Amino acid sequence: MSFQAHKDIVEDDVMSRDRIIEMIRQIEDFFKPYPENRRIEGMRNHLRTYWDPRMREQLIHMSEGGKYLFSPAIISTVNLLKDEQTKSSYYGPPKI
Amino acid sequence: MSNPRKPEQSVTTTCAYCGVGCGFKAETISGKIVRMTPWKEGKANHGHSCVKGRFAFDYYNHADRVRKPLIRSSISDEWREVTWDEAFNYAASELKRIQLKYGKKSVGAVSSSRCTNEEIFLTQKFARAVLGNNNIDNCARICHSPTQFGLTSTVGWGAASQHFDSILQADVIVVVGANPTEGHPVFGSLMKRRIREGAKLIVIDPRKTETVTSAHCKADIHLAIRPGTNVAILDSIAHVVVKEELYNQQFIDQRCEVDEFHNWCALVSAERYAPEVIGPQCGVDPELIYAAARLYASGPNSAIYYGLGVTEHSQGSTGVMCLGNLALSCGMLGREGVGVNPLRGQGNVQGGSCLGSWPHVFSGYRFVSDKPTRDSFEHEWGVPLDPEPGLRLPNMFDAALAGTFKAMYIMGEDPVQSDPNQNHVIEAFKNMECVILHDLFLNETSKYAHIFLPGSSSLEKDGTFTNAERRVSRVRKVVEPIAGYQDWQIVLKLMNKMGYAVAYDNAGEVLDEIARLSPAYRGMSFDLIDKVGSVQWPCDENAPHGTEVLHREKFPRANGLGTFMLTEYVPTREKTSDRYPMLLTTGRILSQYNVGTQTRRTANQIWHPEDVLEINVEDATQRSISDGDFVTIKSKFGETELRAKISTRVNPGIVYTTFHHAKSKANAVTSDLSDWATNCPEYKVTAVDVIPKNITNLIYESIASHEKIDQLGN
Repeated sequence: MSFQAHKDIVEDDVMSRDRIIEMIRQIEDFFKPYPENRRIEGMRNHLRTYWDPRMREQLIHMSEGGKYLFSPAIISTVNLLKDEQTKSSYYGPPKI
Repeated sequence: MSNPRKPEQSVTTTCAYCGVGCGFKAETISGKIVRMTPWKEGKANHGHSCVKGRFAFDYYNHADRVRKPLIRSSISDEWREVTWDEAFNYAASELKRIQLKYGKKSVGAVSSSRCTNEEIFLTQKFARAVLGNNNIDNCARICHSPTQFGLTSTVGWGAASQHFDSILQADVIVVVGANPTEGHPVFGSLMKRRIREGAKLIVIDPRKTETVTSAHCKADIHLAIRPGTNVAILDSIAHVVVKEELYNQQFIDQRCEVDEFHNWCALVSAERYAPEVIGPQCGVDPELIYAAARLYASGPNSAIYYGLGVTEHSQGSTGVMCLGNLALSCGMLGREGVGVNPLRGQGNVQGGSCLGSWPHVFSGYRFVSDKPTRDSFEHEWGVPLDPEPGLRLPNMFDAALAGTFKAMYIMGEDPVQSDPNQNHVIEAFKNMECVILHDLFLNETSKYAHIFLPGSSSLEKDGTFTNAERRVSRVRKVVEPIAGYQDWQIVLKLMNKMGYAVAYDNAGEVLDEIARLSPAYRGMSFDLIDKVGSVQWPCDENAPHGTEVLHREKFPRANGLGTFMLTEYVPTREKTSDRYPMLLTTGRILSQYNVGTQTRRTANQIWHPEDVLEINVEDATQRSISDGDFVTIKSKFGETELRAKISTRVNPGIVYTTFHHAKSKANAVTSDLSDWATNCPEYKVTAVDVIPKNITNLIYESIASHEKIDQLGN
């Protein structure tokens, strides 16, 4: 992606949508070897711990409306993220 | 250099050039530094030194030093010299204006690993307590952030498990993506000494570095992998450890989460990690992978040392986890002679990591989202704090491009030169309304700055540095700050001007506050360090003089056990193609330091007057490149020119350069892919093509003439 990428910004976005997609896909790749429920929890914990809330909001926003084809794991993560806003962060393997 | 006069004064201090943190006696005549003598009592260097620490100190008094604050309202204007008061007032009013207009979170701060612990701590306090958000990051983001993440995930603390002297007990030394004889020379000498005594050496590095072969240093096994395949090779080594049952069952049973160990075994024992499969992918003989695994596991003491060759990848954090997994499985932690040790680049990268210059954790690696931790900071600082993580440095640039991030305070950094995909960074800066740069010299970033605050070098201030072995040493003021203030005083004054009332009489009081708020530093004080020389954290009531070796009885995790992360190999998206058929990887050399701001302004310049591109003879011949020719290096991100050096140190298909000189613009070509977990940039892998300069001109001329013909035709 070059610096041209910032052109795909929609109102209220904190950054380029391409960047958000690239990052969430990389995170998904890492957690793939874990069984499904742990994979989703690992992704949720990662986003809750390391992503500015506006980036999480943007991801949630992007997952709605069907414009982007996110994988089932990313959709499940987004749902978990919405449900468990207050769950605290941790380091290490995903805990269910 | 003749030095006929006897120095009048001598001050013991700590070198800022790399993560070794050598103790030096800085000697002065009439208030000018004339000599740096390595300190015999220094526990990191025991009286040794390298050519940077010993000779490259003249920069502090260089004519280029900015001595008065500068401001301008637009980056197209000339700089205007102003008083400190005017500069602080302007900075404060701009930050307030921007926050009012674009919101509290539209501004942020970046601290530097060249600054002291006290300054780094105050910068995070400035962001969190004064700016009121967690947009605080530090330059470890672009070097060792994966260390913090990867090691904390497996062994509990993102720091070296050993002290440097521990290597003298090692039987097998594994160096991954590091080149200690060049990058960490004083530690490199200690390593060579142990190799002369008979220790075996395994090096995993795409390049045949000076650590692989040079005087008193020969690797027994060199895994010359293709750039970007660290995780594959480390998983393959783990495959052999598991398949041949070379792991340490007793250590795993007593010290580790056994379930996670079994999960890990299931992953790495899969056929796809067999050396016969991975070897060809990495460009390595499978037999060497077997040999490396057997040698590492057999120890009896095997120690891992690694550098940016592990971290600066799209799987940087995963690579660090691989090292943690491997050490845990073979029981190579918790005593002398073993361990997993990041070799830190700058003088205070470890301190930068420890002291909360991160958007998600306070000092001591405790989450901003954790209420009890936040309570302790709110109590001490007297203001409510943001419970959500802030933007990381690359996110700040992304947000700036989107128009949601408008002002940045940068302490001692040059992101335009040092950060990846230079064009992207420049565009981001141009989109900001206020860039406050606090540095010694005008640099590449200052071209896009509105306020320049002239800082102090480490020879002009008081504080502490934490080196790569967690050793906290005193930095002592040798000469008066050239621009009038020590850096911690500058941050303090900025905080005050923003309306936050706080006062410290000296840097020692900042360390006292650090001690109150950070468990691992609880016992630290200037007094203690003055008394015992230096102290390795954790330092508390259980370890009043610090701790040399970590993890002796338990790991600093909730249940006290080490754990295994699943480290699937995911190839980087940065791939070679017909257009960009070669891989560029980057590194550094002994006589220069990082972006060279300091060392380029000293006589060390004569050893490395320019960055060169190392290229294998095979690739050079194919492209009609001769030694010394100027070549154009192109990637899809940009291009630059360097002089070619035919070298046997790189394999065919790989080229290598350093980034010490601004004019070589190595980061104009580097990719903006980054680590999946931390956004640490993938500096070590960029697909490029290399074209001789004269041919490039011909091509351009021919394109130009074709275009002309086309135009005529139309």
